[in-house]
Amino acid sequence: MGKLVLTGRLAARDIRRHPARAVLLLLAITSATTVLTLGLALHGVTSHPYQQTRAATKGPDVVAYLPVLHQPGHRPELSPEAAELTRAAGVTGHAGPFPDMWAVLRTHGLTAGAEVQGRAEAPGPVDQPKLTAGSWVRPGGLVIERTFAEALGVGVGDRVTLDGRTFTVAGIAVTAARPPYPNLCYINAGGCMGDFPSGTPIPVRDIGLTWATGPDAAGLATPADPLAAYVVELRLGDPAQAQAFVTAHSESQDNAGPSDLAAWPGIAAADGLLVQDEQDVLSPGALLAALLAVASVAVLAGGRMAEHSQRTGLLKAAGGGPGLVAAVLLAENLLLALAAAAAGLLAGWLAAPLITSPGAALVGTPGAPSLTFATAGEVTAVALVVALVATLVPAVRAARISTVRALADVARPPRRRPGLIAVSRQLPVPLLLGVRLAARRLRRAALSTASFAVTTTGLVAVLSFHVAAGQYQAASSGGLPDPAVTRDGQILLVITVVLVTLTVLNAVCAAWTTALDARAASALARALGATPRQVSGGIAAAQVMPAIPGALLGIPLGIELFAAASHIGRLVVPPAWWLAAAVLGVLISAAALASIPAWAGARRPAAEILQAEAA
Amino acid sequence: MQQEVVLAMLAKEPSHGYELRARLQQALGPAGDAMNAGQIYVTLSRLEKAGLVTCEQAAGLPDRPDRKVYALTADGQQRVAAWVTDTSWPGPGLAEFHLKLIAAAAARLADPLAIIDAQRRELLRGLRDTQRAAMAEPPGSDAALLLEGIVLRLQADLRWLEACERKWTGRKDRS
Amino acid sequence: MNEKTGPEAAGGTPVLRARGLRKHYGKDAGLVRAVDGVDLDVDAGETVAVTGPSGCGKSTLLHLLGGLDRASAGEIWLAGRRVDQLGERALARLRREAVGFVFQAFHLMDELTAVENVELPGLLAGQSPRAARRRATGLLERVGLADRAGFLPSALSGGQRQRVAIARALVADPLVVLADEPTGNLDSEATLEVLRLFDSLHAAGQTLVIVTHDSRIAATADRLIGMRDGAFVDQTRLTGGTTGSLGALAGLEG
Repeated sequence: MGKLVLTGRLAARDIRRHPARAVLLLLAITSATTVLTLGLALHGVTSHPYQQTRAATKGPDVVAYLPVLHQPGHRPELSPEAAELTRAAGVTGHAGPFPDMWAVLRTHGLTAGAEVQGRAEAPGPVDQPKLTAGSWVRPGGLVIERTFAEALGVGVGDRVTLDGRTFTVAGIAVTAARPPYPNLCYINAGGCMGDFPSGTPIPVRDIGLTWATGPDAAGLATPADPLAAYVVELRLGDPAQAQAFVTAHSESQDNAGPSDLAAWPGIAAADGLLVQDEQDVLSPGALLAALLAVASVAVLAGGRMAEHSQRTGLLKAAGGGPGLVAAVLLAENLLLALAAAAAGLLAGWLAAPLITSPGAALVGTPGAPSLTFATAGEVTAVALVVALVATLVPAVRAARISTVRALADVARPPRRRPGLIAVSRQLPVPLLLGVRLAARRLRRAALSTASFAVTTTGLVAVLSFHVAAGQYQAASSGGLPDPAVTRDGQILLVITVVLVTLTVLNAVCAAWTTALDARAASALARALGATPRQVSGGIAAAQVMPAIPGALLGIPLGIELFAAASHIGRLVVPPAWWLAAAVLGVLISAAALASIPAWAGARRPAAEILQAEAA
Repeated sequence: MQQEVVLAMLAKEPSHGYELRARLQQALGPAGDAMNAGQIYVTLSRLEKAGLVTCEQAAGLPDRPDRKVYALTADGQQRVAAWVTDTSWPGPGLAEFHLKLIAAAAARLADPLAIIDAQRRELLRGLRDTQRAAMAEPPGSDAALLLEGIVLRLQADLRWLEACERKWTGRKDRS
Repeated sequence: MNEKTGPEAAGGTPVLRARGLRKHYGKDAGLVRAVDGVDLDVDAGETVAVTGPSGCGKSTLLHLLGGLDRASAGEIWLAGRRVDQLGERALARLRREAVGFVFQAFHLMDELTAVENVELPGLLAGQSPRAARRRATGLLERVGLADRAGFLPSALSGGQRQRVAIARALVADPLVVLADEPTGNLDSEATLEVLRLFDSLHAAGQTLVIVTHDSRIAATADRLIGMRDGAFVDQTRLTGGTTGSLGALAGLEG
């Protein structure tokens, strides 16, 4: 027990003595844990809100679209099936039949398709959509599904036209009977089989659900564009039998026309599509962020090894063994990882509502998504693993150095790379210095390549997304923003910010540790006649050279990542000059970030540094 | 006891035997513990025989060496002056050089710093010559070993001379 | 004053000249006068040794003379050209072309072989790799380490490492070689090696300024300057022979 306390105290003291390093480490892991928390929070969101909406709106177990019998001179009639259905075995309640029409909706210069259901003004026993604003249908008053209303940019009191007729928006509501915009037509039943008047082509994803009074809806029918269907919604005694019910009754159709039934599980699944989309973006994003965090931590923990060695040497001289030494080093990083996990959980919890106001049509709790113990546990575990993976090797190595060597402050001497040394002789001075500097710590150079590869992968994936989104938008002629695209775009922005932050952190850490490492070598180079500009150029080159293959590798990886995550089924390749700009931007930033500590170091007189290194 | 040292102790002024002994003991400290009275008086009588020192018996005091008063003759003074400027090394040893400085300061025979400086130069010349000889020797020869010994001793002596210089500079600054 | 030529423009110009050199650190109560008003003239081909106790400022003085540090006050001329006001780039050129430095800690790059270490200043000066390699090999021969050209510093003894460092300092055929405690980290045997080398350089006409507290080196210099508390306190030219003989020094009675 005493050893544990001692370890903890030594670790805490060490953290206090190197606050900058601790802060950087904390930032790195926190970025990763935040993204992870967001991803996991989203996971938990899929199933709950639909259930809540279903309960709140008395959602139906089966939705049936029934054909209409048109007899010239007569009012449109429901087929006899309707009555059969409502009396079928297992049905305990029903609503409808409601007239169902398709109309072209226009507002604010936008054109969309609307499915208009005719409803009673009084609430019904099954499927009573829940109002989130305004009031229920009235003559001339239209109620619009929430996501659809958001996409159209309309609120209560605004005017819209349906097939040229003006309506006022009476209210905004959510329902569990249909998937929300833009996935209205994505279930395999009742999905958008109507025609729009004058053959106006409306893309399937531009269609949303609205409700009007029965007469208003029926009134939209014209001889050229008759009533599309009647909707009947059923409640079953055993909701679990919904799919079986649908299968049984879909077979027994008569030839009056196609009728479509949908069971609530199918609707729930379609509803989850939006969230699924977001998850598809968050998961790879979280993975990239975690990778970058590992790289940052590895650089920070492995950097300045000499300092470590001296510290561990003192520990050992003061009576600790290799076990204690390794324990203190690990403890430091694990403590920081725990703090980062907590910070990430907090940040994720606070940020989650912005992202997970899920498929707006569902009544989810707008506040914090549930932060379960499972989520907290997973995030903490990941943070600890990140810290462990990155620091295990240096900790073990530090523990194995003999005390004497450690006290002599002999940093791990650089391995000789004859090939690189020979090559560098042919290069101009800054590159000569850069290659030789990078060659001294090839492992760090490799880490740098990896982290730049990860960053560029992320950036290219984001660019691919924007290209795909643009193509998608172009296909939609109505001008409506696709909420999936908008939401994904927002998430991608967050992820991009996190990735860029982590990369900057990485680059700064790598530059800082390289400059520290290179201090003696660069002082000597200056004593031998290199100018400060050549030396700082060399230090910058040592950072940028490993970044180049990383950045180039990121291009195919990014395209692949987007293809894999987006289910688009083909490769979306951003335009060449976008890619070039991304790669150049990454490399120039790497060079700039590397130059700052290099320039700072070059100002000091060489004598000081040489003296210090020799002491 | 070196003759010159005793002579130098008398350079300032004539003194009794016991005064002489006291002064020596103070100058030498623990290094002088092994010195006994007999050695000094034997040296004094030799110096008297050699005509470098005169000896008087104070009236009314018993005829004992420590009660006699000793003084330098002209020859004795000449000998002292020559001794002060002599830089041969290693000579009779550290104690002699040490006493030389004290005596020179006490009797104002010469500036101790000048003595130190002269000796230093001499040692440096010796070091230079030894070093040159060493460089000319094939490495590992027997002679090279002896030369290295000389070099190391000279170095050690030079370091002591530096210490002497520091101390005597301080003493001068204070006075 | 004309920057190009110092006060003595005619022949017989000292290779290195300093007037009123000062280097101060800190201020008020914490003011440290590392170098406090030093005047120095070094003629071509001369070996000058600066000795003194540790902390007397001799290393700082050498750094100032070599352009590794900036003086707080004073003037320095190298071959008649004023150098204390030069910018960093010009100073770097100076170090490349006119001044060779030898350090107490050798400061060789651990991952480079002897010949790669020696050719480095040439490469930094922009020479072609082949020319730099040729010169480096030649210099290693000069210092007697031709057979060790491909060795890493870790495989060389202290004396050999310092000789490699001296070879490196000679690459640009400098006007003056500045050596800061060159034998500080060396044992007796290695010191002798280095002394031999300095002696041969001296014989070839190389100007040397050596800062040392090793009296062996001081003894073999043309001129010996004592330094204390940042200022020169005396100057010695060891002319003449000794009063005694080597035998006497060895303890043999004459």
